[in-house]
Amino acid sequence: MLVQVLLQLAVVVSLLTLAGIAVVVGRYRLRDTRREWASRLRAATPITVVLAVVLLANSVARQVVPDLSWMIGWNLTWAIYDLEGQFILWLQSFETPALTAFFSFVYIYGYVFLLVFPVVAYFALSNTRPLRELLTAYTLNYVLGLVLYTFVIAYGPRNMMPELVDALMYDTYPRYQHLTRQVNRNTNVFPSLHTSLAATVGVLAYQTREVYPRWAIVAVPLAISVAISTMYLGIHWAIDVVAGIVLAYVCVKLAGVLVGRWAISDRFDVGNPLSRLR
Amino acid sequence: MTDGTPAPSERPRSRRAVLAGTAGLAVATSGCVRQVRTVVNREAVDQLSVTIVTLPADGDREGIRLAREVAAVLEAVGVDVSIDMRSNEEFLRAVLINHEFDLYVGRHPGSTDPDFLYEALHSVYAEESGWQNPFGYANLQLDDLLEAQRRADGEEREAILAELLEELAREQPFAPICVPEEHRFVRTDRFDGWGEAHPSTRLGYLDLEPGDDVDRLRTAHTDARISENLNPLTAEYRDYEPFLELVYDSLATERDGEIEPWLAEDWAYDDGTLRVRLREDCRFHDDEPLDSGDVEFTYRLLQDSELGGGESSSPPPRYRGLAAAVEAIDVDGDLDLEFELEAGEAVAERVLTVPILPEHVWSERAAPATVRGVSVAQGATEAVTTDNVPPIGSGPFRFGSRTEREHVTLERFDDHFTRREGVDLPEASVEELRVGIDPRSTSAIELVNTDGADITSAILETYVLDDLEPAQETMSLESPSWTFYHLGFNTRRAPFANARFRRAVAGLLDKDWLVDDVFHGYAEPTATPVTEEWTPEGLAWNGEDPATPFFGSDGDLDVEAAREAFEDAGFSYDDGALRVRR
Repeated sequence: MLVQVLLQLAVVVSLLTLAGIAVVVGRYRLRDTRREWASRLRAATPITVVLAVVLLANSVARQVVPDLSWMIGWNLTWAIYDLEGQFILWLQSFETPALTAFFSFVYIYGYVFLLVFPVVAYFALSNTRPLRELLTAYTLNYVLGLVLYTFVIAYGPRNMMPELVDALMYDTYPRYQHLTRQVNRNTNVFPSLHTSLAATVGVLAYQTREVYPRWAIVAVPLAISVAISTMYLGIHWAIDVVAGIVLAYVCVKLAGVLVGRWAISDRFDVGNPLSRLR
Repeated sequence: MTDGTPAPSERPRSRRAVLAGTAGLAVATSGCVRQVRTVVNREAVDQLSVTIVTLPADGDREGIRLAREVAAVLEAVGVDVSIDMRSNEEFLRAVLINHEFDLYVGRHPGSTDPDFLYEALHSVYAEESGWQNPFGYANLQLDDLLEAQRRADGEEREAILAELLEELAREQPFAPICVPEEHRFVRTDRFDGWGEAHPSTRLGYLDLEPGDDVDRLRTAHTDARISENLNPLTAEYRDYEPFLELVYDSLATERDGEIEPWLAEDWAYDDGTLRVRLREDCRFHDDEPLDSGDVEFTYRLLQDSELGGGESSSPPPRYRGLAAAVEAIDVDGDLDLEFELEAGEAVAERVLTVPILPEHVWSERAAPATVRGVSVAQGATEAVTTDNVPPIGSGPFRFGSRTEREHVTLERFDDHFTRREGVDLPEASVEELRVGIDPRSTSAIELVNTDGADITSAILETYVLDDLEPAQETMSLESPSWTFYHLGFNTRRAPFANARFRRAVAGLLDKDWLVDDVFHGYAEPTATPVTEEWTPEGLAWNGEDPATPFFGSDGDLDVEAAREAFEDAGFSYDDGALRVRR
C-alpha cells in the first residue's frame, strides 16, 4: 500500500512541477540552464551533500530520538492544551468535505510540491545563491527541528481530543497514514516542520518575487494553506505552527548569513542578489 | 525563628534599666513569636492538584477520552487536574514499574478467573514493580480473603469471592468503569474457523482452516510493541497480544475459561500437590531438549529474576501472582514434576499457564542489567530488561524475522508436539504467520478489505464499529471480553490512601453515560472487575452503579451533592477549591 501511495505522490508532484516549469520558469531560462548546468551544479554541490547527509542522519536519528525524548521527559502537551485549548476546535467547526479534501491534498501533495519545485526553479537561475540559500535553509530546518524534537515531547490535538478533533485525513483517507508515519512520530509535533519548511519556501519566494513573480503568487498562499492544513487536520496545535514560523524565520536569516560567509564557489560578486538575478 | 532573641527564661539580673528594658521586651516578644511559630509552622493546606496518566488517542482512543471526562468532573469538584499522555510502554513504565502517578486511566488485562486480583491487590506486593499491586494498596482483611479464595474450590470459593468483591467495591482501590466489547475484522475467503477459539489466545491462531494454496496468515496489528520487544517478562511491552503464546508453550492452555493440557500431557491434583507429566521428546526452537529441569527453572525465575543471587528476591513484573502459589517443585526424572502449591485445584491449574523458558538461554540473564555509568535499580536483571530477540521458545511457531514498527514474522515449528500423530490438539496450519504493524484501526480494516491482511489482531477501537461494512469475503468477529477500563488510584499518595476519598471520586463517574458517549454503546458498565459469571448478585449492574452510585444523572454531575460527599469524607473547600493536606 505504501508503494502505491508513494507512486501516486511521485506522479502528481512531477506533473505539478512540469506545469510549474512551463508557467514559472519559461523557455529562456531552460535554454540557459542547458548551457550552464554543470557550473551551477558545481556551485550547489557542497550544500547538497550536506543536506543529503543531514537527511540520512535524520532518518537514523528518528529511530533513537523518541527513546531519548522519553528519558529527558519534557512533555508539553498539557501545557499547550491549557494555553490554547479551543482554537483547533474553532478551526474545525468550519469543516466541510470539500475543505477536508482540499487540505488533505495540500498537506500531502501541495507540501511536497512546495518543497521540490523551488529546487528546480532556482536551479534554472544563473545566480546560484537562491538555490544555495534554499538548500541551506532546508538543512537548518531539519537540524534544528530534530534538536527540538529530541527535547520536547508533545502529542497533537487529534491525540488529545480524538472525538472533537477528527483526525480528518487519516480516517477519510487511511492510506496516508502509511506515508506520514514513515516520516513522523506522533510525539514530534512541536514545532510543525511542515509549517517551517513551507514558510521557508514562502519567505524565499517572497524575496525572489522580482525574478519569479508567478511563483511568489503561488508559493505564499500555498505555504499558508499548508500551515492551516496541519491545524485543520488536527495534526498540529496553533503553538506548533507559530513555532514553525519562528523556526522558518531563523533558518532563512541564518541561511542568508551562512551562504554569504562560506560561499565556496560564489563567483558572482553581488551586493544585492536580486539586482543581478535576471 | 527565635534566633537572636534572648531565651525567654533569662531573668534580668543587671541593675541597668536598659538591660532590664531589653529583657522585658524579649519576654514580651517571646510569647508573640511562639504564636507566630504555631501559626506559621502549620503547613498550608493547598488546593488538591493531581495528574492523570493515560495513553494518547493513537495508543488508546477511549482511554484519553475517559481521562478527559474524569478530569472534567474532578475540576467541577474543585480539583486542579492535568493529564499526562504517554506512549504505550512509557505509560506502563510509569504506572507499573515506577509508580509515578496520582491517577491513571487504562485497560486492565483482567482474566476469566478472579484469582488475578490476588496479584493485583495483595499488600505484600505494594512495594514491587509490575502488574502486582500497582496501586500500593494494603488491606489485611482483603489479603485474608485473597488467600482464602486461592485455597478453596467450588461453592466455598464462590462465597469467599463474593465477600471479597463486596469488600473491593466498598474500598475502591481502583474504580472499574466498563468492559469494552472485543471486535475484530477478518477475511473469510482464505481461512475458515475464525472465532472457534478466542483471538487473544494462542488457540485463536491455530487450527484455522486455510483455503487451497494458502500458507501464510497475515494479521494487521495496531500496536507496534510486539515488533520492538519479544520478552514475555517485560511488563511495559505486553498486554493482550497472543503472539508470544505461539512462540512459548505453557504446560496448560486456556479455552473458554477452562484449562486444558498443552505441553503437559496430563496432571493430577490432590490436596495441594499437583503431579504433572510432560510430553515426551519436546524441543526448543534451537533444538535443545525441553525437560522438567526447564519447567522447574522457569518457576524459580518467575519467583526471583536474580535466582537467589541478589540481597533479597526480585520477582519479575509479570506472572507474579501465579508463581507465588508455588511452594516447591520436585523434579522426578525428565518428564515428571510435583508442585507443592498454596492453592486449590482451580488456581493450581491456572499456575500451569505461564510460558516455559529454556534454562540454557535464561540462566545467564539472572544477572543485573548494566548500563555503563548508571546505577541500576534492584531487580532490573537482564531477564526482565532484554528485548529477547530472537525469542527461543518451544511453541508451534518459531521466530523468523522482524523490522521494528513494521512486522514480526513467525515460521511454523515443524517439530512441535501438536503436529504428531496421536496428539489431538490444534496445530499451526500455515507455514508463516506475519504480524504486520498498522497504526490505526481504520487502515487495518482497509488492509483486510483489500486482501492485505486476514485479521485485525488487536481489538478494534469502538468508534469504527458503526462503520464496519462486512462484504462477502469479510466479517466482523466478536469475542468474549474480560479486559476492563478502570481508574487507578495511587494509594501511596494522599489523599488517595483514604478510601472515603476514593469512593467520592468513584461517585463522580457516570459509567452508563461514559459507555454510551465514549464507547458508542460497545461496552458494559461495571461495578466489579470480574466477568459476569463471577459477579455476585449484589454487584450486578442494575441501571446504576450498585457500589458507588453517580452523583447526578445522564452525565450531568450534581456538583453540590458531589462536593458534599467530599465534605462528608472529611475534606474542606475554600473559595471553591478542594483543600487537601499532602
